[in-house]
Amino acid sequence: MINVQDLMKTYNDVKALNGLSFQAHDGEITGLLGPNGAGKTTCLRSLYGLIQPDSGSVEVDGLTPKTQALDVRRRIGIFPDKFGLHERLTPREHIRYIAQLHGLKGEVLDTQVERVIAELNMADIVDRRTQGFSQGQRMKVALAQAIVHQPKNLILDEPSRGLDVMSTRILRELMFGLREQGRCILFSSHVMQEVAALCDRVVIMVKGQVVANDTPAALCEQTGEASFEDAFVQLIGTDEGIMA
Amino acid sequence: MSAALFTVWLKELKDALRDKRSLMAAMSYAFFGPMLMAVAFFAVVKEATSESDVKVHIQGQEYAPELVSFLQQKGIVATAKEEADSGIELTIPRDYQSLLASGKMVSIVLRADYSERKNSSSRQRVSSALREYNQTIASARLTLRGISPEVMYAVVTEKQDTATKESRAAVIMGTVMVFVLMAVFFSGMNVAIDTSAGERERNSLEFLLAQPVRVFDLVAGKALAASTFAVLGSLLTLAMIPMVFLFVPLEKLGIDITFSLGQQLVLVLVLVPLALLASGLQLFVSFMAKSFKEAQTYISFVMFAPMTIVFVLEFSRFTHWVLDYLPVTSQHQVLLGSINGEPVGLFPIVVGALSTLVLAWLLLIAVQLRLRSEKAVFGL
Repeated sequence: MINVQDLMKTYNDVKALNGLSFQAHDGEITGLLGPNGAGKTTCLRSLYGLIQPDSGSVEVDGLTPKTQALDVRRRIGIFPDKFGLHERLTPREHIRYIAQLHGLKGEVLDTQVERVIAELNMADIVDRRTQGFSQGQRMKVALAQAIVHQPKNLILDEPSRGLDVMSTRILRELMFGLREQGRCILFSSHVMQEVAALCDRVVIMVKGQVVANDTPAALCEQTGEASFEDAFVQLIGTDEGIMA
Repeated sequence: MSAALFTVWLKELKDALRDKRSLMAAMSYAFFGPMLMAVAFFAVVKEATSESDVKVHIQGQEYAPELVSFLQQKGIVATAKEEADSGIELTIPRDYQSLLASGKMVSIVLRADYSERKNSSSRQRVSSALREYNQTIASARLTLRGISPEVMYAVVTEKQDTATKESRAAVIMGTVMVFVLMAVFFSGMNVAIDTSAGERERNSLEFLLAQPVRVFDLVAGKALAASTFAVLGSLLTLAMIPMVFLFVPLEKLGIDITFSLGQQLVLVLVLVPLALLASGLQLFVSFMAKSFKEAQTYISFVMFAPMTIVFVLEFSRFTHWVLDYLPVTSQHQVLLGSINGEPVGLFPIVVGALSTLVLAWLLLIAVQLRLRSEKAVFGL
């Protein structure tokens, strides 16, 4: 459960977040959709406490990152905006490292690492060094790192960028699986088809503000447009910076 | 030590050990430093111990065959004028034998360019050999006349060399110890850069900072990994020194370098806080950089500071009691003390270690503060 209330953040006169408010519920996939520069990444970074908002509040399962950053981070899995891998380490070592930083050890550590390797179907690459990995393989490593500690909340920043069809499918199925388990999933995207296909709820943000917040179907109804794309364009007032 | 810190330490070590560049940098430094010194000393020893013959041109050598053979015993060889590379020319008068026989003074001309520094030792050798020959003959004459030759020696100097084997070794080893200190600063450098600027360059910094770990644990783990390399590098340098000097005939200079294993271990222990300080400084600098290369540039500037201190102290032989307690200089004093037979006391060693650790800790705190700033992390 993620609750964002009236978030403001300014960088040198640029208002990255301008009174952003939304909620992402457990057992739902919430999509944060907006054009480039709408403040999506800033919003997600403030969720895990790497950016301190100027005002407003963030709560993850009732905890605020400002004062309880470590507790919040234990409850979330992060698929970051940029995920660099250590070329000289194998995926198994990557996953174990993050799991250990989350405090997993001993038998639990081993079983969780094995579970996530099986879940993401990555047994064939898990003991190779990550140097020269394809984008899809890199994504699997990053995803495994995000979910190895079985977080209650999963935050993904543009997870599907640069992925081929198969990798996108794996990602989608994983997200559906996690939703079944009642976890809260929040992901940002500027790709509409993806949002329309995946999300239970869409939060459309422009210039650091929420302009719409509902199910994809309800948004179409609200705008009177047949397709989600047209509804979106009408909501943000332009189609600049959005991929169909 | 928290579990997270330990995890970061191990992971960074594993990563660094697989990085051939870091490994090579650390090891080659430790290897080539002492090696270079050995080569230099080899030249010094050779220069100081081997006395080559002095070639002089002697005009009229047929008049004084005994003198010529005396000179030859002293390593002064008569050659043709062109081959006399010392540029020294001796002229023996035609009436040498008759003057000698009648007990009169013989004048021998020593002709050379006295402004030439290079051959000054050759000139001295020739004139002292002539003086010696003079004394031999003069003594013989006095004895013949029934006078003890001792009347000619009113005051005699007697040379007593106070330089012990150890103190002569200390001068040379002092220079070697500078290399040990430099090994501490250079061996861990690549690792420090890779875990900081490298982490940023490969875009893994944000994800790491978003983990439920105290930033200090992250920074300290990285610093420990780099200092592990620094300590290993200095250990290797210390181990290399006696090995390399096996091949240099230092005993010809009367120098004796012995280093017990225990002594080496103590020195390594003394260097551990310094390694932490070096790594802390390197992390502090390279976390400011956006890329590996940028960090390398900054660091090579910053590393000048401690190195300059060490070099200045080493060559100026400046001493002050405060130096025993300050970071960098304290370790330098301990290293020097271990070889010149005046070991530094336990109290300064401990205080020096503590002051070094405090400075290292402050640097890590500063790094941590930087990493808490979103401006520094995201480059906003």
